[in-house]
This record gives sequence, structure tokens and C-alpha cells, in this order.
Amino acid sequence: MTADLLAGLTAVLQWEVLLFLAVGVVLGAVFGSLPGLTATMGVAVLTPLTFWVSAEQGLAMLLGIYCGAIPAGGIPAILINVPGTPASIATSWDGYALSQKGQAGLALGINALLSAVGQLTSIFFLAVAAFPIASFALRFGPAEYFGLALFGISLMAGVSGERVIKGMLAGMLGLGIATVGLDPMTAYPRYTFGQSEFLDGISFVPVMIGLFGLAEVLIQISDRWGKLDQAPSKLGRIWPAWMEWKRMLPSTFTGAGIGTFVGAVPAAGGDIGSVIAWEQARRLSRNKEAFGKGSLEGLAASCSSCNGAIGGAMTTMLTLGIPGDAVSAVLIGALLIHGIQPGPLLFRDHRAFVFSIVFLMAFASVVMMVVGLLGAKPLARALRIPSPWLWAGIVMFGAIGSYALNNAVVDVWAMFVAGVVGFLLRKADVPLGPLVLGLILGPMMESNLRRALILSRGDWLGTLTSSSIVVFFMVATILSLLLPLLKKRRAG
Amino acid sequence: MSRPESRVRSRTDLVVGGLFLVLGVYLTVSATALPADSGGLPGAGFFPRIIGLVTVLLSSALLLKALRGSSASAFVLSHGRVIGGVVGLTFVYLLLWGTGFFTLRTFVFLVLFLRFLVQSWRASLTVAAVLTAAIAAAFQYGLRVSLE
Repeated sequence: MTADLLAGLTAVLQWEVLLFLAVGVVLGAVFGSLPGLTATMGVAVLTPLTFWVSAEQGLAMLLGIYCGAIPAGGIPAILINVPGTPASIATSWDGYALSQKGQAGLALGINALLSAVGQLTSIFFLAVAAFPIASFALRFGPAEYFGLALFGISLMAGVSGERVIKGMLAGMLGLGIATVGLDPMTAYPRYTFGQSEFLDGISFVPVMIGLFGLAEVLIQISDRWGKLDQAPSKLGRIWPAWMEWKRMLPSTFTGAGIGTFVGAVPAAGGDIGSVIAWEQARRLSRNKEAFGKGSLEGLAASCSSCNGAIGGAMTTMLTLGIPGDAVSAVLIGALLIHGIQPGPLLFRDHRAFVFSIVFLMAFASVVMMVVGLLGAKPLARALRIPSPWLWAGIVMFGAIGSYALNNAVVDVWAMFVAGVVGFLLRKADVPLGPLVLGLILGPMMESNLRRALILSRGDWLGTLTSSSIVVFFMVATILSLLLPLLKKRRAG
Repeated sequence: MSRPESRVRSRTDLVVGGLFLVLGVYLTVSATALPADSGGLPGAGFFPRIIGLVTVLLSSALLLKALRGSSASAFVLSHGRVIGGVVGLTFVYLLLWGTGFFTLRTFVFLVLFLRFLVQSWRASLTVAAVLTAAIAAAFQYGLRVSLE
């Protein structure tokens, strides 16, 4: 273990890797701080660029973007009441109120510092919990993996909020797209329409670039064009006073803990985590009425929780191969480009690489904290860049990046179609998270079910009750499908 | 909620439910052309058929909900002409992919894209030139991707 840890650290402490990390953090800060550009979009659009470098260098840049964009998303949330990324929605509730009171600098300082605390807490969780989870998951056979994938897909209902049916339909669309190409067991072509380009299936990364790049640009044009406020020109002090630290400490760790836990739930990212943590911190606070009106505790909970979700999401993604949020879904694609399959075997065969990921994330958190503290003013100024300039760049980098992955025009069209469909779905209030889950978990679910049935010689009941782990996943699946419906009925 | 607004919302879910119903029926029917089983075990058509059937069930539920008027989402599209223009422009740019003159094509596309978004000629030309140069430097010369 120690040798792997040192090997992981040595691989990270190369100047090229650290340079990629620093570039990633700065890019992430830019992506996060500009409304309309999100962490998912940044990672999706720039993933193709990592194709030409080593896995450590590529991951350094993408993790830098991830760890940079989420805290930076709090900057426009605080200054102009527009969350830079969906995860920072709760940050705007108290951050913007503080900004209105002339304490924008303090809110930005708290955002930078406590985002790092949230990230480092969750990265510690990743370092401690991932290896035991992965070694437990090594016991999984095809039936257990089928159960896990089915449970992951059943969470589509839970993460769709009020839109349970639409969320599940989006998931079905993802599962349907995942069936395109050669059948994983018999190599029989499905939905290829006689085109050889479709035999390998629809490329995942271009679809993600379309869903989170082009679609987001179209959403921005429709919803936000010309509606942004001006950022305040004076920020004031950035560093919190000692008494303020003391007051924020409990809600910071409550937020980090809740964020990590929620982040680990498949498809439930920082946006859900931060709202839950903010509400929990409000319940526990002696000063409940200040929440939403510039409460430091509320800001602390939201900043630490949306960043805490990062480590949680990465834990699920690395140990089980199931994305914790949209960014980690794109990161699965990035890892696959480098021939690395996330899942328990990663922890057996590439232990040093896992430690490299942990160190890269920890370094990125610290670098982003420094960037957030020193760069608050320049990043606030970046809010003045006209959005159309950024949109043009996103569309172009998205199209060329999709093509560059395989030098295939069909990938560019996949990006375009995914972008337009993603836009229309979002406008029709259909959540995209379940679609991504279906896309990723579809092949895992199908091939493992069929493998399990081969092993049990077609005995369905025997397959679905073959071990206590499978039974657990079946019960969890039923509960996760029923609970949102029961909750809705009770509320109605 | 006013009555016209409620009608718009129901109509959105009707359209969404209808489209997914078509998709579900297509998946179910087309899956019959795929081998349903191989050696007594599920074949290539098994999974698409299940997906198709579940999609039909869920979309029917959504349609039913929309017909009852209890759906709660509306399709609100602002700047529709601009979005249509941007999508159309991107479509044309992709159609011309591989016809040569990558740098010129990209520059012209970006200028038109920015003009569509009401940027001044000066800003459009400058930003398009910078972006084209950045893309060519990154992909053509840096990563040696053949874009012609």
C-alpha cells in the first residue's frame, strides 16, 4: 500500500502533470465563474484534448477543471445572483444577500476557503473509504453487477424531483441509445441502419459534449441572454474574522458531510447536496431567520456541501463505475479514452493510479483556494465578457473536439443531435441526468444480466436471489422506485 | 394557474408523451426483427424490447396525466428565431465538414454566429479571428488533427 501511495505521489509530482493541473484549475475557475459555462461543459468539451497526453496529465487537467469550476460557480452566484454551476444554487441565497449588504469580498473569501474545506473533507473520505468499498465490490459477479446497475437506474426516479415519469422516460432514452451497435453478447448489429460507423455504438463523449455543451448554449440563449446584472465594483474585505470562523464551523462540517454522502448517491450531485445541507444547517442553527438574508452559516453550509459532493461522486465512480454526478459521468468517458475502466478492478490493478487521482484532487483543491482568494477581483471582472463570445467558443471547441476523438464526422453529428435533443428535452422539463445514467448503466446492466442468466442456465428467480447482495439491490431498487411515488401521494 | 397557461402545460406533456410513445412503439416493434433468444437465453432483441415496452407504459402514463390536465411543465421558448438561426447555421457548417478550407469556413461560421447574436461587426470579426486561430493552433498544429 505504501509503495503504491508513493508511486501515486511521484507520478503526480512531475512538472508536466502539475502544469496540466494548474491550467485545469484556471480553466475550471473561468468555466465556473462565467454563467452559462458549467463544470460538466468544461470537462466534456476539453476531454478530447487529453487524448494526446498521458492519463495522469489528462486527468490532472480534467480534475483541475472539476475542482476549480465548482467553487468558482459560487462567484457569479454571490456577485450577480446567477449560479455559475447548478451546484452553487444555494450559495446564491446567502451569498448574494451578503453582496447586497456590501460584503461581496467576505462572501467570496468564505466561498474560496470553505469550498476547499468541503473538497478536502470529501477527498479524505475518498482516500479512506474507496479501498474498502472496492475490495467489497470485488466479490461482485454478473448478478451483483446487474443488481447494482438496476439500482443505479432506479435512482432515476429519485433524482427527477417532481418529474418522476419524465425522468424515467429520459432514462429509457439513454438505455435505448446504449443499445445501438453490436450486441455485447452475440455481436448481432442493432439499430445500425446498415452504417458501419454505428457498429461500435454511439460515442459517449460527443453525446455528453452535445448534452452539456451545445444544449447548454441554446438554453442560455433562450433563458438568460441580456438578463444578467452587473457585478459590484467594490468587494471589501475577503478574510473572515475569528468570531465568524467559529460561527461557521459547525455548518461547514455538516455541509461537507451531507455533500459527500449525497454526492456518493448515483446521479445526485452538488446541486441536490447543497440544498439539503443548507436546509439542514438552517434547522440546526440558533439563527434560523437569518438564512437566505446573508447568513454566514447558510453560506458555509452551501459552499462546503456543493464541493463535498465532488469526493463522494468520485468515490462511487471509481469504486463501482457508476457516476455520482454529471461531471463524473464525463470523467468515465475520459478514463475509458485512456484505457482505464473505473470499478473495483481499478483498485486491484492500478492502485498507484488511484492514489494519483486522490493527490491530484487534493492539490487542485488547494490551488483553487489560492486562485479563489487571490483571483476574486479578476474573476469578478471576467463576468463582463459578453456571453455570445463564449458561446461561439463552446460550440466550436465542442464540434472540433468531438471530431478529434476518432477523426469521425459521425461523432460531430452525434454531438449536434444530442445538443438539439438535449435542448428540447430541457425546455420540455425533462431532466437529462437520468438519460446519462441510462447511457452509462445500460450496457453494464444488459451484459451482466445475460451473463448471470448463462451462469444460472436461464433460471431468472435463481439469478435474482443468487446472493444476499443481489437481494439487497433488488429491495433497494423497489424502495427507490416506490418512495418518490409514496412521498408525492402523501404530499398531494 | 390561469386556464390558458394550464392548457400550454398540458400540451407540452402531450407532445413529450406522444413522442416517447412513438419511440417506445418503434423500439418494441423493431426489436421483433432481432433474435429474441439464443439457446434459450435472452438474445439481442430482448433488452430493446423491454426498454420499448417500459417506454410505452411510462409515456402512456404521461399522456394520461396530460389529458387529465394535471401536468406541470410548460415549453417556453424565448429568442426562438435566434436559436433557430444558430442551430441552422451550425447544421450548415457541419454539412460542409470535409469540403476543405477549414480555416476560412470556420472564420465565416463564427462571424455569422456572432452577428446572429447581435454582436457588432468589429467584435464579430475580432472574436472570430481569435477563436479560429486558437482552434487551428490547438487542433491542427498542436494535436495534428486533420481538419480539412
